[in-house]
Amino acid sequence: MSEAFAFLNDIVDYGPQILSGLINTLILAGTISVTGLLAGILIFRLTLSDNEIIRKSTARYISFFIGTPLIVLLFLMYYGLPQWGINFSPFTIAVIGFTLNIAAYNSRYLSAAYNGIDQHQLMAASAQGFSSRQIFTLIILPQTLRRAIPGLTNQVALNIKDSSIAFLIQYVDFFAQMQEQASLNFQYLKVYAVTGAVYLLLVSLVIFASKRLETRYAIPH
Amino acid sequence: MTLLQVRGLTKKHDDVGVLNGVDFSLCKGEIKIVMGPSGCGKTTLLRCLNRLQEPSSGEIIFDGEEITAAAVDIQQVRQRIGFVFQNFALYRHLSALDNVKLGLRKLRGLSDAEATQRAIYELSRVEMQDHQDKYPAHLSGGQQQRVAIARALVMDPAVLFFDEPTSALDPLMAREVANLLNRLHDEKVTILCVTHDVTLAKNLPGDVLFLNHGRVEAEAPISELMKNHANENVRAFFEQKAPSE
Amino acid sequence: MTFLEIVSILARGAGFTILVTLACILTGFFSGLLAALLFRLDIRPLNWLLHAFTYTFRGIPLLVILFLVFFGLPSIGLPIPPLVAMMLSLGLICGAYLSEVFRGALEAVDPNELMAAQSMGMRRIQILTAIEIPQMLRFSAPGMLNEFTTVLKYSPFAYTVGVPEILKEATSLALTTLRGMEIYLAVGVLYFLIYKIMMEMFLWVERRYAIPGFKQI
Repeated sequence: MSEAFAFLNDIVDYGPQILSGLINTLILAGTISVTGLLAGILIFRLTLSDNEIIRKSTARYISFFIGTPLIVLLFLMYYGLPQWGINFSPFTIAVIGFTLNIAAYNSRYLSAAYNGIDQHQLMAASAQGFSSRQIFTLIILPQTLRRAIPGLTNQVALNIKDSSIAFLIQYVDFFAQMQEQASLNFQYLKVYAVTGAVYLLLVSLVIFASKRLETRYAIPH
Repeated sequence: MTLLQVRGLTKKHDDVGVLNGVDFSLCKGEIKIVMGPSGCGKTTLLRCLNRLQEPSSGEIIFDGEEITAAAVDIQQVRQRIGFVFQNFALYRHLSALDNVKLGLRKLRGLSDAEATQRAIYELSRVEMQDHQDKYPAHLSGGQQQRVAIARALVMDPAVLFFDEPTSALDPLMAREVANLLNRLHDEKVTILCVTHDVTLAKNLPGDVLFLNHGRVEAEAPISELMKNHANENVRAFFEQKAPSE
Repeated sequence: MTFLEIVSILARGAGFTILVTLACILTGFFSGLLAALLFRLDIRPLNWLLHAFTYTFRGIPLLVILFLVFFGLPSIGLPIPPLVAMMLSLGLICGAYLSEVFRGALEAVDPNELMAAQSMGMRRIQILTAIEIPQMLRFSAPGMLNEFTTVLKYSPFAYTVGVPEILKEATSLALTTLRGMEIYLAVGVLYFLIYKIMMEMFLWVERRYAIPGFKQI
């Protein structure tokens, strides 16, 4: 009992740092979720390009980022760029690296959703005289975004979890603060269990929100 | 000689009686047709007979053995009852040949060579030997049915059950089914066939068991049932099915 | 030091990368299969446990589970070797995702075929091994490839618990040469190569066992 109390006490003592770590985690996860979605839409648009070279290089981009570990990209920028005199903050590097990576995945979700939509509508829109740009923003995007909600929100949950690797490039997030805590009190098991529970809670909130979004924006059959 | 004797068979589903005391018998080499309006319990009857669905009460004596008893090894019994399903239910990941071989390999423990030989023989009996390497997705409905029949026959069953053999086929193929069943009958295969198809029933030699509300209401050759029968349910059924005749 | 020399030094770690990836894939495959099959038994308390397993392992970051296992378990007298720690974290995470893939695929097996197998006199276990699992594995192929790729991509974190795989070699090389740019570029290329080879092998197996016209209905 007193042991549990001491553990709680430690956490409370260390509260401000843990809280700032948690805020950093949320800032990073939130930022990359937004930039990753926007970049994902851009990549998806490029996969629909009329230009074959653009389509092929987009496909290579997606395949490369799906086949290569994100941490390598982060290390490349964190340890490699200073060689050329470029020094980005850990946060900037994380945002760039995550965005490039998440965009590849999001564009895949959007492509899958696009393949499911009725192609006759697109023909109808062309026949009506809409430009391909208008067709994309007025017809394709609204439908694919809605259909891709499960994949896109799942990606947000992944972003929260994956943001924890940013501590490896010295971004002081929630996980970094909890490790600090563990190294102070040596209660590794408890500290990591609490850490896991907090991430689980955050992910659960995203899943909950995702279900709400899905019903709210369902396309009527 | 009686092969299958059913007495007082009932089946309740959520307290609603689907079968309400069915009695009939089937002799070796006989072909018997089960007909009746939809919802009369035809398919349930067939599935109760090999306990794919558990009967609520009654006796089923198959080849001298009471098979509803708890001690019965129902898997052994089922191996001697061939079942050809309405939608044929071929295993989609296996070729026609492997569909037929599966029971011999897994249930009879035959060697691959022996199973292959027997399976090819059964496939040729239903004129499917040229399609043995095709997968179900690439076979027409009629072809799938023939493979399903070969799959049942290869186990040397004492009886063959057919559940609505014409309903999943186009009309042209449906006509073929009567020929196929007649040929099997000539080869002394015992058959119990559930159908709603009057044309099929008219082209088969056996008696019709008329089932209504889970009871046998008449048992006679179809020609008699269609001739202004005493039972008004029978009359109503055939008038609706073949009003012109 | 040329780019090729860098690659050849890093390639020494490739063996461990492949070892970690394969060990975690196998753990994931079998734990996912077991979870999906246990789910089929439809026993209430067991289902809750399985749900809890998939939910937790899908909701917690790999590094948290890895550190919990590797640094946490020794504190209660359970020292865990690095490779085993990877299997218990990354491997089981893969299993949690795969169990969902497998469950969905099992549900896609046509119930009529199962009834046909039952009516033939096949026992539950025979139906499972002869009909359900062969079909389920084929339905699951795209999902499996996804999860296996994920395992490869998370395998570098094995360096955090001291497995001398590619990223570990890279960090020590980067420390001594200070040529992070070329080194991590080479690391990226190496991983991409392994990914390509792994995918080709998987697709080869998939084609080898492909069945004409067989798809989910």
